[in-house]
Parts: sequence; structure tokens; C-alpha cells
Amino acid sequence: MDALLTKTEEKTVLTEKEKITGSEALLKCLVAENVKTIFGYPGGAIMPVYDALYGYADQLTHILVRHEQGAIHAAQGFARVSGKPGIVFATSGPGATNLVTGLADALIDSTPLVCITGQVFAHLLGTDAFQEIDVINTTIPVTKWNVQVTEAKDIAGAVAKAFHIATSGRPGPVLIDITKNAQNELFEFDEYKKCDSIRTYKPKPQLQIKEIEAAAALISQAKKPYILAGQGILLSGASKELIAFSEKTGIPVASTLLGLGAFPTDHPNYVGYLGMHGNYGPNLNTNQCDVLIAVGMRFDDRVTGNVSKYAKQAKVIHIEIDKAEINKIIKADIAVHADAKEALGSLINLVEPNNHSEWIESFRALNREEYEKVVHHEFNSTGEIKMGEVINHLSNQTNGESILVTDVGQHQMVASRYYQFKNPRTNVTSGGAGTMGFALPAAMGAKLAIPTQQVVAVIGDGGYQMTVQELGTIMQYKIPVKILVLNNNFLGMVRQWQQLFHGKRYSFTEMVNPNFVKLAEAYSIPARKVEKREELQDALKEMLEAKTPYFLEVVVGKEDNVFPMVPAGAGVADVLLEAPKSK
Amino acid sequence: MKQDYTLELAADNNFSVLNRIINILNRRRVRIKKLMAHENENDFRRGGVIMLLFTTPDLIEKITVQLEKLIEVDSVKVYQGNSEYFELSEKIVDVD
Repeated sequence: MDALLTKTEEKTVLTEKEKITGSEALLKCLVAENVKTIFGYPGGAIMPVYDALYGYADQLTHILVRHEQGAIHAAQGFARVSGKPGIVFATSGPGATNLVTGLADALIDSTPLVCITGQVFAHLLGTDAFQEIDVINTTIPVTKWNVQVTEAKDIAGAVAKAFHIATSGRPGPVLIDITKNAQNELFEFDEYKKCDSIRTYKPKPQLQIKEIEAAAALISQAKKPYILAGQGILLSGASKELIAFSEKTGIPVASTLLGLGAFPTDHPNYVGYLGMHGNYGPNLNTNQCDVLIAVGMRFDDRVTGNVSKYAKQAKVIHIEIDKAEINKIIKADIAVHADAKEALGSLINLVEPNNHSEWIESFRALNREEYEKVVHHEFNSTGEIKMGEVINHLSNQTNGESILVTDVGQHQMVASRYYQFKNPRTNVTSGGAGTMGFALPAAMGAKLAIPTQQVVAVIGDGGYQMTVQELGTIMQYKIPVKILVLNNNFLGMVRQWQQLFHGKRYSFTEMVNPNFVKLAEAYSIPARKVEKREELQDALKEMLEAKTPYFLEVVVGKEDNVFPMVPAGAGVADVLLEAPKSK
Repeated sequence: MKQDYTLELAADNNFSVLNRIINILNRRRVRIKKLMAHENENDFRRGGVIMLLFTTPDLIEKITVQLEKLIEVDSVKVYQGNSEYFELSEKIVDVD
């Protein structure tokens, strides 16, 4: 790829062929990569690509969003449920910088994306031309890889590399910035060749049998082994292997936020959800287990709490494809640098069959305590509607089989706690980045990826208004997503922290909201608001049965808190079931 | 305890590679005492960076794997102290 280099290579002589523009070459490459759906927004510097797209309407469906951030979150939702890379088009300058949040979100949550941004003419680079922003340097920290292309002949090579990098190893977002002259340039397009290897990039580690044997030996003699399942299980498609492994060894499984769905919540070995607002048993028993088997997860601080008080008694086996995650936060006694599916598939043959029912029962006992103190009240309140009961009804009515897309905040934690996920790739949420405004566009993308699946976006009133403009996209393309806004007229999670840790000084967290029903109706989306408990079940049913997009607002307790909670700076064993008594 | 480390990186010589490398050090707030970047004499498509860093053993371990993770980076060699920095950079200067 000459354009990437500091000198020009000798040109090879091609036979006479019909010339096409760089823009059309780009589209041919996308078609060859089996792309069907693109999320995007046009603008000056990407107009040649959009012009070419006009002639590709039979092969490529382009969804015109209302803001580039909507495009990239939609692409994330698309990728998370389908496993295929999400594709985004945006123009130069502000079009490209509007992708930055989504890129950061996709990078930390390992989501494969290929983003194409237009750029000013190559001869204008660095001149502060109209809508010129240095997109490459802006997005280096938030992409797995990016590249600028300034000549049409380099487009195909860049696209091939981009798809390979985005989808292999630990997946992630890539960005190709194409100058306008390269989009316009006529050239002889050769056949598109997919890329399956890059000299300096080794995405798939070789499974080390010594590591697997050492892990198996440790697991076989463990008295209280404990599996933490992360998104790596979903990304490598290792759910079956994880279930088989847990069943053979009798080891309990807890899930991280992004791992939800990797292991069925109704499985007898499932013990709950980990982290700051996770279940009581999984958090407390982290500091009781003797062998901690972390699979495809990265010990996020929302999972570990204070690391100096995290699983100090345990030997840690860390199975992880990204070498930079091993020993980054928690020192691994046995590091298995491998794909989760391969590692579990190999490990299962070496471990002894076992039963740890007493150990699993200790999780159950703790979770019963949580039920009495927290869940019971959440589900059986007689006062204001609780977020937990809404999610519980939703989970029951959908049998835990819908795709649930959540935003960020209290509703997200409640949804993750109470939705009984049954299947892989049914939980879509912004985990590592915690991007408010993620859910509405991500739900659109998820629905377009799998139109046969029910897709429900659960969103708070704050996050909803961050990307609410995407109602326009939902209306235009008649995307039948179900939008469930849990409205407490507060930025609830921040308010909860203000209540618990800042002396109830509610500094700028209360919101005066618009009439959400009228807003949805302005976009021709059927809408309903529920304030009474008696109407809740019926309203949820109406929402789920709708063949169209549907908006449901449920007014919930203004000052309800999410518990359990591991306070900031505390260890996992310090998880609280209720607010500490005020002094 | 912070100490001197010499890092020797081999990488593809694309635009932006140096920025990617420096970004990782900046993000971890690792002090760069000296730095030399170069194209390879007989193959301009490849190049390298030699750096003298001042940081802790723990951070150098973490940085090394993060640098290795960069798509264009081929290899990262770590040496304790600064003598390798001067040896390696002299070699580059000699060639030029």
C-alpha cells in the first residue's frame, strides 16, 4: 500500500481494464466482504462515495441516521448481535469526530466495526481546509487500527486489512480515512482479495498445552473453584464449551456485565451477575474461592472493586486472547493466552469430573439473603413502581429470550440484574465506556441485523435524550424496536451517589423532561405512559405485541436506589445490601 | 523503583506508527529520556524506534505487551539500563 509509506514503490503494469472510481472500488470491496447494511450520514468530503452508492442500492442498504453517533452505535448493536462487523460512513471533520465516542465504546467492548470517513483532497491535508480534521491522529487512541488512503489503488488493500483486523483476535473498531481525490480517481480495479494475515499481527495465539495441563491440574484439585465468564465466551462462540466444562467439573459460573447470555441464567450452575451492582453470592464468594477461573474477561474495576482486597486467597487462572489484559489488573498464577473456545475445548478433556454442590449452595444461601433484603422489595412494592419489577415482568413476558439493549445508569444495572438471559448475544449494552445515549441507536442496529428477534431498548430518561433524534431514523425505516424508558426525572445513578456519598446534595441531576409520549407520536411511533402498577403488565404486553416501533414510558420511583452495591474504593466482600445508616 | 530501560522496537514504517507508540507511553505517563526513530537502510517499508525510558519494572512489563499489540509493531526488546540505548543509536547514526 504505497499511500501508507514514505516513499513510492515502482508501479506494476496492469493490462487494459475498464476504469472505475475509488468510490465504486470501495463499494465493490464491501460487497465482496458480504456487507449488506451500512449506517451513515453524507457530507462534502464523502459525496463521491454516496454518489457511487446510488448505483448500489440493490446490493447495499444504507440507513440514513440523524447524527453520526447514532450511526456508529447502530453499527455496534448490529455487530454485537450478529457477530459481523458493523459498517459506518461519515464525512470529514465533525462527521468523523462524531464517531469518536462510538469508536472508544467499541474498542473497550471489543466490537468489530469498519468505519469509512471522507477526507479533504490530499493536496489540502494539513492546510486547515473546510471540514478538515486530523482524523487519523484523533482516532488512534480509540481504534484498533486506522489508516488514511490518498490514492484509489490503495483502497482495496486498506479495506481488506481493515476487515481482517476488525474481526480477528480480540475484535475492535477500525477506521479508513479516504481523501476525496482518491474517491474520485479513476483507476483499473483488480479483483478484491481478502486479507487473512498481516506480517506484524498475530491475532490468534497458539494454544500452549503446558498451560492447559497446569490449569487442569489446579482445577482438578480445587475445593472451591469458581468461573467468571466474560464477553470473550460470546466473541469466540464458546457458550457450549463453557456449559459442558461447568457441567463436567461442577464449577459454579458467574457472569460479567458483557458476559450476560454466555451462560443460561436458569442453569443450575449459574450463580449470578458480578460487579458493583451484581449479586451478593458472586461478589462475596470471590473472596472465598480457592481457584478463580477467569475466561474472556479483563477484570474491570467495576468487577474487582478495590484490587488490593480482591481474591487474595485464590489462585488465578486467566484465559484471555488479548495478551495485554493478562496480568494488567490481577496477577495470573496460570496465564492461558488463548481463544476461549479453544482453551475450554482442550481443558475439558483434561479435568476430572467433579461435584461442588455444597460450594454452589453457599452462593445460593447468600443470594437468598439478597432476595429477602433487596429483590423481594423490588418485586413486591406497593408504593411507586420499581425499576426491578418492570424488568421482571419484561423478562417473564419474553421468557428472557428477547434481545435487550440497555443504556447506562440505574436502569442498566437493574436490567442486567433482573432480566433472565437465556441465549448468547442477546445482551447489548455499553460496558467499559459507559456511554449514555448508546441504547436507542444500538437497538436499531440490532433489529436490522436480526429482524426476526424481538429487540427491546431499556433506557433512562437522561440517556434517552442524548440520542433521541434517532426516532427519526426509526420512523423513516419503520424499524420495529420497542423503546422502554424508565423515567425517574433524575440522572438516577449520579443522584444515588450524591445521596450515599455526597450528603444528598443533588447537584444538577434533576431533570425537567418533555412529554415523551407526544415526542414519540411526533415521529408516528405509537406511545403510552404508565404511572399505575395495574397498567404495567398490560402496557408491556401491548408493547411486545406491536408490529411497529413502540414507545413505552414507565414512571418509576424518583429516589430509588440500586442495591447491592460495592461502594467506590471498597472490596467485593464489602458489598452493601442496603444504604448505610446515615450518621 | 523507577529506573532506566532501553526499548528497541521494530515496526512497519507507516505514517502514524510513531504516534501510536508515543500515545501508549503518554497514556501511562512514562517519561521518555531519549528517542530515535529511523527507516531501515535497505528497506524503507520497515523501521524502528529506540527509546530510553525511565519507569518502574511493573509498568515496563505492561507497556511492552501494549506496544506489541500495535498492529504495525513487529517486536519489542527491553534492556535494563541505558548502555544499549547508546550502542543501538550509534549503530543507526553510523549507517546514516
